[in-house]
Amino acid sequence: MSDLGTAAAEVAPAATEAAPAGGRSRSLAADAWYDLRRNWIFWVASALVVLVVLMAAAPALFTSADPTACDTRRQFAGPAGGAFFGYDFQGCDVFARTVHGARASVLVGVLAVLLTGVIGLAFGMLAGYFGGWLDALLSRIVDVVLGIPLLLAAIVLSKRLAADSQGSGIASVVIVLGLLGWTTAARVMRSSVLAARSQDYVAAARMLGAGPWRIMWRHILPNALAPFVVVLTITLGTFIATEATLSFLNVGLRAPAISWGIDIATAGKHVREAALPLVAPSLFLTLTVLAFIMLGDAIRDAFDPKLR
Amino acid sequence: MVRFVIRRLLQMVVTFAGATFLVYALMFANQNDPIQALAGERPVSDAVREVLTERYHLDEPFLVQYGYYMRDLLTGDFGTTLNGRPIGEIMADAWPNTVKLALLALFFAVLFGVAAGLVAGLRRGSVFDTSTLALTLVVVGLPIIVLAPIAQLIFGVKLGWFPTTAGARPSLYGLILPALVLGAASTATMMRLTRASVAENVRADHVRTARAKGLSSRRVVGVHVLRTSLIPVVTLIGVDLGTLMAGAIVTEGVFNIPGVGSKLLLGIQTEDGPLVVGFVSVLVVVFLVSNLLVDLVYALLDPRIRL
Amino acid sequence: MQVRRLIAWTAVPLVATLGLAGCSGDDDAKVDPSGVVSIQIAEPQHLLPSNTNDSSGIQVLSALFAPLVSFDKDAKPVPDAASSITSDDHKVWTIKLKDGYTFHNGEKVTSDDYINAWNYAAYYPNAQNNSYFFSRIDGYAATQSSDPDGPEGPEKAPLPRSKTMSGLKKIDDLTFQVTLSEPFTEFATMLGYSAFYPLPDAAFSAPGVINKDYESAPIGNGPFQMNGKWEHDARVEVQRYEPYPGTKPKVGGVEFRIYLQPSAAYADVLSDNLDVIPQIPTESISTAPDDLGERFERSSASQFQFLAFPTHESEFANPEVRRAISMAIDRDEIVRSIFKGSQQSARSFVSPVVAGYRENTCGAACEFSPQQAKQMYEQAGGPKKIQISYNSDGPHKDWVDATCNQLNANLGVECTATPEAKLADLLTKVQNKVPVGVFRLGWIMDYPSMESYLGPLYTTSGSSNYYGYSNADFDSLVKQGAAAPTQEESIKFYQQAEDILARDMPVIPLRFSQNNFGYSTRVRHVVVDLYSRIDLTQIEVLS
Repeated sequence: MSDLGTAAAEVAPAATEAAPAGGRSRSLAADAWYDLRRNWIFWVASALVVLVVLMAAAPALFTSADPTACDTRRQFAGPAGGAFFGYDFQGCDVFARTVHGARASVLVGVLAVLLTGVIGLAFGMLAGYFGGWLDALLSRIVDVVLGIPLLLAAIVLSKRLAADSQGSGIASVVIVLGLLGWTTAARVMRSSVLAARSQDYVAAARMLGAGPWRIMWRHILPNALAPFVVVLTITLGTFIATEATLSFLNVGLRAPAISWGIDIATAGKHVREAALPLVAPSLFLTLTVLAFIMLGDAIRDAFDPKLR
Repeated sequence: MVRFVIRRLLQMVVTFAGATFLVYALMFANQNDPIQALAGERPVSDAVREVLTERYHLDEPFLVQYGYYMRDLLTGDFGTTLNGRPIGEIMADAWPNTVKLALLALFFAVLFGVAAGLVAGLRRGSVFDTSTLALTLVVVGLPIIVLAPIAQLIFGVKLGWFPTTAGARPSLYGLILPALVLGAASTATMMRLTRASVAENVRADHVRTARAKGLSSRRVVGVHVLRTSLIPVVTLIGVDLGTLMAGAIVTEGVFNIPGVGSKLLLGIQTEDGPLVVGFVSVLVVVFLVSNLLVDLVYALLDPRIRL
Repeated sequence: MQVRRLIAWTAVPLVATLGLAGCSGDDDAKVDPSGVVSIQIAEPQHLLPSNTNDSSGIQVLSALFAPLVSFDKDAKPVPDAASSITSDDHKVWTIKLKDGYTFHNGEKVTSDDYINAWNYAAYYPNAQNNSYFFSRIDGYAATQSSDPDGPEGPEKAPLPRSKTMSGLKKIDDLTFQVTLSEPFTEFATMLGYSAFYPLPDAAFSAPGVINKDYESAPIGNGPFQMNGKWEHDARVEVQRYEPYPGTKPKVGGVEFRIYLQPSAAYADVLSDNLDVIPQIPTESISTAPDDLGERFERSSASQFQFLAFPTHESEFANPEVRRAISMAIDRDEIVRSIFKGSQQSARSFVSPVVAGYRENTCGAACEFSPQQAKQMYEQAGGPKKIQISYNSDGPHKDWVDATCNQLNANLGVECTATPEAKLADLLTKVQNKVPVGVFRLGWIMDYPSMESYLGPLYTTSGSSNYYGYSNADFDSLVKQGAAAPTQEESIKFYQQAEDILARDMPVIPLRFSQNNFGYSTRVRHVVVDLYSRIDLTQIEVLS
């Protein structure tokens, strides 16, 4: 890795490989890890993410109450025993529901963002780098996708994929969000790539014989990643919140699924009678989004060659 | 530049056809029994069913129905709903409200989002930065279905600062609260994006050069940093305009503004293909035009980009 | 009629009014006789009487038209625009009109106006939603036709034999005769419905053809006339029609303001931006007493909510299973916690608002006894899993979830609440014998009679008998009731029929609705009748 790398490093300051004082050459990834390890934000954010993922994977670790044991006679009762946030409109344990709801919400958010990220990255990179007719084609596809109303796609897809009425509909919500939500990320990636590809270091790399894929992966991507990652981290939060809106309009997750979205939608209607049923899922959602945003920030900072 | 625009305009025609076809197909796939869907819970008599099926070609295969629709569309006839109301009229009533609301929402989003993002980006780690992050999280954690009624309750009913509903012929003042609510999520995204861009560009070479040249801080920030930082923001504006128009369903319902969002919802619920496609076709044009403008603005903002 | 059609009836100035009790003492408040009151409606689907069956449309029409009969506090019909409606044999009815009624364009109201309107409504090719209201009239069959290969096929229905019904005969300008194909004792009760409004000559651009601009500004014979046109999605404004000979309204006009969601209207009432909201959304009911104080009121309404068992689903075939399920539901608890008292538990099959209603005809099967229910359920071999299907385009999720939770706890079953996007989809599934489990339905009376709750829902050929219940004794009792010589005797037959329902439990009665309405500080004497109509002749604007 050192032959092409060092030469390029001399030509352009925004090099992808640094020659450390110790003499041993390191890849960008190793450098990034070195920086990350020393960033306290990274550790806090990771801890939160691990906590949430653990909650999603094994809710029983956090609560022993049954979220489906609901009795309206306990409607809006205050915190008692293990029910730290009291009881909601149907008389269910709010804390238990929130803990169990982590799974669906996190799954929806993460899977949809992954789908969005993959499609957005591919579209944005290809459109921005190659330009010309490919850019035109891909950008027009973006326009077509933008024109499709989210609600319509949600209704159609949830009907089509709901052949088995016992399913909770996670797949259809993920697909709807992922297929329709990648456009912003793609356009942001494209604009960053457009800006990066006319840089000198790209010209230099090309002169040195690097093929397009290598240039895209090693040179452009790290420099174009920053706004893309920011958009994705916010998108994670908005996806979970959009799931709430879809559930509110009755095309989101279906019973017996439990999700923060469903709980926020229901609790919002009754917020004047009791605020705790809204506070719990909102708080968890906010913390999860915060964790991902902080993580995204830290990773982006670590990978950004301009910050060396 | 001119060639670029012309090429884009030609592509837009193809995109328009593709998008409307796709949405029409989706509506058709969604269609179960539009006549009953219109009637809701009331039973539909055979007479009504027969007349409506005949009139709207509901028994014809998909391509035939699409053919009738496009033929009418090309002569400017957007069709009628199953109720008999001309869709062109419905659009003429709904679009002005939505355009006003969306533009106002976008204006607030850019105003507050970019300004706050700029300051936060320049002063990373400051109290301002942290509090804007907190605000972002509140907005993201409270989806619009919760945010809108709460805002209406606090600022409309309890404090009385704004009218509680805007109505069918809204005044600009009446649209302020709905626009703020609708634009809240966009504001958050724009702020984060601007902040990240600014933070990155502040350390960029062209800025170092500008400072080294001895330019005042205001000029450095205002011209050099801001100009390049705005690129992702401009992207977002282009996309957001259309999204705000189509996605204002909840806001329109809460503040009683009959616009595109509620008509789309109605069309989807009553399985009214022509109604949905009518609105979507205009929406697609909005997206196409705004993306074209965005691409033109890129070239203006960033000298590195050559069209 | 089914609930989504909300309110089948015309707003009617009640002769002896309900709820006037609170209004007599405060005459010293200044009233503005030219004030305009604003009332919330949803966007009407139609404003042509023969085609209008949604509640908003009917509310607007009730201002513009005067019905032949209105109803007293016992829900008995009293002549309004008619001076008398008489019959010796309950088959041939003579309707005499009061003199002095004019349409808003000056035309005198005559028998022809009624006959032309009714013929238009009935005639099959006009495809009017309210056509079936005329099905009892002799000669209706000749105005009907049918598509030989169904609506999907390429062949069209042949033209009907006749454009008019032979059972309608004009005697003179103020008298006409209606002959029914079979005697129906309560025919006069039907005439209060908005389908039976007259139409002026100006409504027709040619004989049998309605002027296409008529709906945007209907000309009626009622206490209010249109002020401008129907502004879609915005409002319909009406103003007082001075030459009206009946009970004059105390306000100068009404603005029917169109709202997308009732929650927005509620917020407007709280800030005095809107005068009346006829149905406060359920989520605001618990805060309404604090928000509005005395300006939050309740009155009886006619909606009926129940759970139906499709007869083709064999797991519910044993009536003991159905009774057990009914006994495991704590109706009062759901009314208290989910509906905050805005509805009443139902323990009978007909609404308390109709003559002949008896309390608790359901008996032990509608009493909440969880232990007994569980025993009965197990003995009868009830299914371990129950599905309750409902349509998610209505406010049903909450109570269906609560009901399922109760069944889980009280019967030890696994109950799933299954939403269906639209009621139409749900009903299609039921008709195609797709298993949906138990499903919810709602009903509103077409006219204030026991027959309206019994006939369409439970007779073998009932238009809304989606679940397939059929009992020959029941059918014959209902038929005998319809033909009985007096209403009292009709009621006796209907009550026997209701007893059969209590034995068979084809459905589980759950709740009867109420009107939960609120109003601003600008108005008083707000009365909402049995049909969820605001009485426009009583409401006053304070100055």
